[in-house]
Amino acid sequence: MIVDLLVIGAGLAGLIAALRAAEAGLRVKLIAKGMGALYWTPGTIDVLGYLGAEARAVERPWERIDDLPERHPYRIVGARRAQEALDWFRACVAELGLDYGGREDGGNAHTPSPAGAWRPSYLLPAGQRAGDVKDGRPMVIVGFQGMRDFYPHLIARNLEAQGQAARAAVLPWSVLSERRDRNSVQLAEALDEPTTQQRLIDALRLVVKPGERIGLPAILGREAHSQVLTALTQALNAAVFEIATLPPSVPGVRLATALRRSLERRGVRVEIGMEAIGFHAQDGMIEFVETATSARPLKHRAKAFLLATGGVLGGGFDSNPSGRFWETIFDLPLTTPQDRRQWFRPLFLDPQGHPALRGGVAVNDAFQPIDAAGNVVYANLWAAGGLLAHADPIAERSLEGIAIVSAVAAVEAIKAGNMVHV
Amino acid sequence: MAPISWHSVDLTLDECIKCNICTSHCPVSAVTDLFPGPKYVGPQAQRFRESGQPRSPDHSVDYCSGCRVCNEVCPTGVRIAELNARARAQIVAEKGLPLRNRLLGRNELLGKLGSLAPALANFGLHNSFSRLVAEKVMGIARKAPLPTWSTSGTFRDWLKRTRDRRLKSNKKVVYFHGCATMYYEPFIGKAAVVVLEHNGYEVIVPEQNCCGLPLLSNGEFDAARNYHRNNVGRLAGYARAGLPIVGTSTSCTLTLKEEAPELLDYHDEPATTLKLGTYDIFEWLRELYEVGELRTDFQPLPLKLPYHAPCQQRAHRIGKPALELMALIPELELAESHARCCGIAGTYGYKVEKYQIAMDVGAELFEFVKAQGQDVRYTACDSETCRWQLEHGTALPSRHPIEILAAAYGLYDLERREVVAGKR
Repeated sequence: MIVDLLVIGAGLAGLIAALRAAEAGLRVKLIAKGMGALYWTPGTIDVLGYLGAEARAVERPWERIDDLPERHPYRIVGARRAQEALDWFRACVAELGLDYGGREDGGNAHTPSPAGAWRPSYLLPAGQRAGDVKDGRPMVIVGFQGMRDFYPHLIARNLEAQGQAARAAVLPWSVLSERRDRNSVQLAEALDEPTTQQRLIDALRLVVKPGERIGLPAILGREAHSQVLTALTQALNAAVFEIATLPPSVPGVRLATALRRSLERRGVRVEIGMEAIGFHAQDGMIEFVETATSARPLKHRAKAFLLATGGVLGGGFDSNPSGRFWETIFDLPLTTPQDRRQWFRPLFLDPQGHPALRGGVAVNDAFQPIDAAGNVVYANLWAAGGLLAHADPIAERSLEGIAIVSAVAAVEAIKAGNMVHV
Repeated sequence: MAPISWHSVDLTLDECIKCNICTSHCPVSAVTDLFPGPKYVGPQAQRFRESGQPRSPDHSVDYCSGCRVCNEVCPTGVRIAELNARARAQIVAEKGLPLRNRLLGRNELLGKLGSLAPALANFGLHNSFSRLVAEKVMGIARKAPLPTWSTSGTFRDWLKRTRDRRLKSNKKVVYFHGCATMYYEPFIGKAAVVVLEHNGYEVIVPEQNCCGLPLLSNGEFDAARNYHRNNVGRLAGYARAGLPIVGTSTSCTLTLKEEAPELLDYHDEPATTLKLGTYDIFEWLRELYEVGELRTDFQPLPLKLPYHAPCQQRAHRIGKPALELMALIPELELAESHARCCGIAGTYGYKVEKYQIAMDVGAELFEFVKAQGQDVRYTACDSETCRWQLEHGTALPSRHPIEILAAAYGLYDLERREVVAGKR
């Protein structure tokens, strides 16, 4: 059954593109190899945190767009359209019950990472905003005995070292669960239950001092998050904030789940477990993409295709020891050096980043992949998100911003290009 | 016994980035501590299962239900369910198998035996005394939804009886019925035959064995290999001649396509030909539809129908063709389940130590059905054991989508589960 738009990838770029296209009335299908990369991310929308070799974090992202490389996705789109895309995102997820916001002055907020470093983010879920460094009040970082990958003493000590008054407290595991071992998503599900919430409130009363902000691992409810947050804030009469954990990261899971459900309500089929393994093109047009099944490849036909498979981690690229670096589905031309010795600079944390990570799929102003000569590779293919060239989303802390801005811009171009009826 | 191969496993194990997405979605570890989750039992424990090592690091892999949700959600392509299936076989190879699991793996034999005197067999099995004894002696949960033998003859009996009425045509399709259709639910096969004939296809039903999945999931790889060898021998010729082999049991077709070849390392030419020629019946009907060859003369079916695509169907990675085709039926109001698993997972939920886990896993699905309201008369699901579990958990009758399609063609009575008299 032929659709107007086939989106490949269930990360933020893929989900946002599918949503924007469905909203415009396109018939959309989304396929992905597995659950997307949002499960790995803190659920914040990071637009631009660091620039090149500058040691200081970026204060106001939109004022620094022109300092990015010329073909950076933000510069293709321009600051005004980029901000419109983010406004649209905020309105969309607000309808889905997720309250995203940032600093009034348009600057980055800085909230603690699970290692106690400050992370610059532009938009944050309501549950993380009280962790902003600007707030100034002292923090108590609360962990749980036996919870893996969340160490309140480490976080508090590192925050202290950076001038934030912080101390650590540890609650018994039994506050959260009678089960032997639970990961963050399962703990969040446990906190959907009012009895668990009450146990947590009772336990927190004993450790929190007046005037302290309470930092907890991001497990404050999966489905009932806003209710849990309100219940804790009111019962303890204190500001409460979540610190995103190592994967699986519940704030990212909440965002992914809300977007996926919204798509399904709009009649978009979201098919997970489908690995793209091939395609067929004729006269410069892609006719179908093939995914692996238990037997024969399955053909997915569409008028337009949007590639949002992410970077190396997301599965958009692969490489081999001989230095080849390729885009995994269409083998698109890449700006990435095809010589292994040129992939990395000597220092792992080189502030300029690594050529292998800034390379990727170059696109024209309509977000269509182009070759080195600037020619469009396939007339009905667009790309968005982490695989785009001239950006290094991890070093720049721009992963989510690029995903949203490029996905919206690509869908606008698809609509404008009359590839599909609207 | 033949050595258990690990070759494809070795490749995918290294793809694991420990992100825990699998554990977050695992329906079993969500409800019990006895199964710590796919990441631990799969790729992590696998490091200790190098061939040459004496035994598996722990036996919690026995509590993996084999639902394959982990494979479905894994973003990096680790074949966790296959790792676990092979690890179970390793344990069986080392420690042997309880009689109960030996029995549960042999549904073809059980089907045959019961069908000699089905009424007596049903009476003998389905009474509270026998079930109590079966639980105490064998470990088969007394409340678990065991099927009843067909008292109106097997599917093949019906084929013989209606031989003169069966369509002859140049267009032919081979039907793999599986054990459940043969001995317990012949009406599923009848519905499939009338739907295929309605579309102009002659249905060939060759002799066939159990697909071997119950043996594979209980770790009896050698016995499963015998079954698969027989099926390859009987069916590959049809596939080679270009005839599609379609099945109504999503787990049987999955086994012919992928599970048996992968787990048994069975990749010779006939097995691969069979693999590539085998279809879930709705997968194949969808192909007909896409080339404009599926009849769409559907009558309205004014029903509200919750549909659950079972794990074994989702493991095909073909989308949900039954949902797509049922959506063509006028006035049929479909509600798609996003529940992970019904819990039964083949023979898992029949085991006394796992019955409650299976029911707890299924709660998500049962609640979804309940939320659809009082006016729901049936649920729909492609897999037989899942339908039995759905009926057990919701007290509503469950139907195979092929029965829904046959009813919409006006060929089938959905309530009585009979081909409508006077029709083909």
